[in-house]
Amino acid sequence: MNDLPDKALLPIGMEDGLPPQAAEEARLAERLVYEFGTWGYGRVKPPLMEFEENLLFGNGAAMATQTFRVQDPLSQRMLALRPDMTLQVARIARSRLSRSPRPLRLAYAGQVARTKGSPLRPERQFGQVGAELIGAGGPAADVEVILMVAESLGRAGVRNVSIDLGLPTLAGAVTDGCDLDDAQRRRLRAALDHKDRAAVAAMSGVLGETAARALDVMLESVGPAREGLEKLAALDLGGDAAQQRVHLARVMDGVEAGAPDLSITLDPVETRGFEYHTGVTFAVFAQGVMGELGRGGRYSAGEGEEATGLTLFMDMVMQAAPKSEQPKTVFLPWGVTAAKARELRGEGWRTVSALEHTDDAQAEARRLNCGYVLVDGAIRQLD
Amino acid sequence: MANTEQKLVLALPKGRILDEVMPIVRAAGIDPEADFDNPKSRKLSFATNVANLEIIRVRSFDVATFVAYGAAHLGVAGLDVLMEFDNAEIYAPLDLGIGYCRMSVAEPQELSGEDDPATWSHVRVATKYPEITKKHFASRGVQAECIKLNGAMELAPVMGLCSRIVDLVSTGATLKANGLVEVETIAEITSRLAVNRTAMKTRPTEIGHWIKRFEEAIHAHAS
Repeated sequence: MNDLPDKALLPIGMEDGLPPQAAEEARLAERLVYEFGTWGYGRVKPPLMEFEENLLFGNGAAMATQTFRVQDPLSQRMLALRPDMTLQVARIARSRLSRSPRPLRLAYAGQVARTKGSPLRPERQFGQVGAELIGAGGPAADVEVILMVAESLGRAGVRNVSIDLGLPTLAGAVTDGCDLDDAQRRRLRAALDHKDRAAVAAMSGVLGETAARALDVMLESVGPAREGLEKLAALDLGGDAAQQRVHLARVMDGVEAGAPDLSITLDPVETRGFEYHTGVTFAVFAQGVMGELGRGGRYSAGEGEEATGLTLFMDMVMQAAPKSEQPKTVFLPWGVTAAKARELRGEGWRTVSALEHTDDAQAEARRLNCGYVLVDGAIRQLD
Repeated sequence: MANTEQKLVLALPKGRILDEVMPIVRAAGIDPEADFDNPKSRKLSFATNVANLEIIRVRSFDVATFVAYGAAHLGVAGLDVLMEFDNAEIYAPLDLGIGYCRMSVAEPQELSGEDDPATWSHVRVATKYPEITKKHFASRGVQAECIKLNGAMELAPVMGLCSRIVDLVSTGATLKANGLVEVETIAEITSRLAVNRTAMKTRPTEIGHWIKRFEEAIHAHAS
């Protein structure tokens, strides 16, 4: 008996889901995939493990340090336990579904594992629910995905969703002509991620006046999206950067038109967590919940295909979702027929049957957390 | 906007920086209740003249913790603390231009004459900032073994705990008094206005308002 507490210890970031939260999370995840389904996104079910080199190349390389690996006793090759499902869906799209008509709409739900959690989210295993729109390069695709995530969360009961639009490639385009070494690029990226205007200004010597000024305006435009876009619009940008800005503005217009009440912010400098993204990105927040519920954006799915998608983190969505009402549970004392129990379940009751005779059915019902008890064929509510 | 009735919390650091930052806080239009200036008061959180804004006073490292987890939405923290935390949930949009100092590597006078840093593969360093120290030395291919101290770093080389320290230096008087010399500057430090990321995203108008107010206050303060 003494070693029981010890046996209960789980590794950091792993936890047991218990009733009713485990059921609630599963219900919520199913609801979200169902909602994506109503937008035409077909569900796929990739495996838990894959060959490491097939998963962690290209875009996947960014996840390499977050991946658990085991050696496959059969093939003697290294297997990766999936740290993210987007990579797998992109692989499915370019292999097994390469001949399916584009744009291809796929959805998924499943568990992922990561070697490290973050301070705010120490979970090393969590549920992902997401959708990918593959083979579509225009702003309409980004708009669809953003509107879909906002609407689906709303239908699942999450209130006060807000979307933070990003453009992690813009800083790169703006500083393209600057002569920065690796350490300087890292320093600049950290400064931008932390919105540290002073640190960016301190680098104006190496950045040159034009780039430093552009970055300062980009930092200034972090905040409510409409105002931010106006500030960005005043910037004198060249070729690639100007195109990215147009794409961003079209996404903003589309989302605003499609969901006029949605709160939208802009952050054209954030790169952390968007390492493999190639264009407009977004993070999903809900007021009152610390941290993001999910994120998504534009990336390359391989074979020259452009894609955009989104991933929700179920541990975070759970924090934002309202508690749903527990189904009513009725205690059936010993002797109630199977037919009667079936009938009650058919009416929507959850039944808990006595497995042996008890003298006081009401007390037994209370002990087993039932709100109701069947007495002489009639259901009576316990107070 | 929903949920605006939830109070904004501003975390301020105890100690040296507090005296420097209060004129800016007041110039930004935030006046804490009288207890804030009463040294005998045991209170830790204080109401202000702004109805939905509350001030908490905590240790400087704890400012970063409160802001990172969103328990405080705004805070004042030295760049040293923010660099040590390197937390994605903390933004530092505004340099308050106070608390000037630098983070430096220092070693005993006699060591600095004969030492050739190019030959190092491993150094032992006493510091309050193990993460910054490890990163700094790692970027030059040197593994730093950090001895975490919370104060009186200058004693470590004198007492033979290790030969180098990484610490904040303002005038250099303490180093000199203990026979140490600065051999390298890691970063110039000032205090920043720190903002919780989620607060900035979900309450952009309010947070933006306060960043602007602080910015105006520093400019007024400087001129």
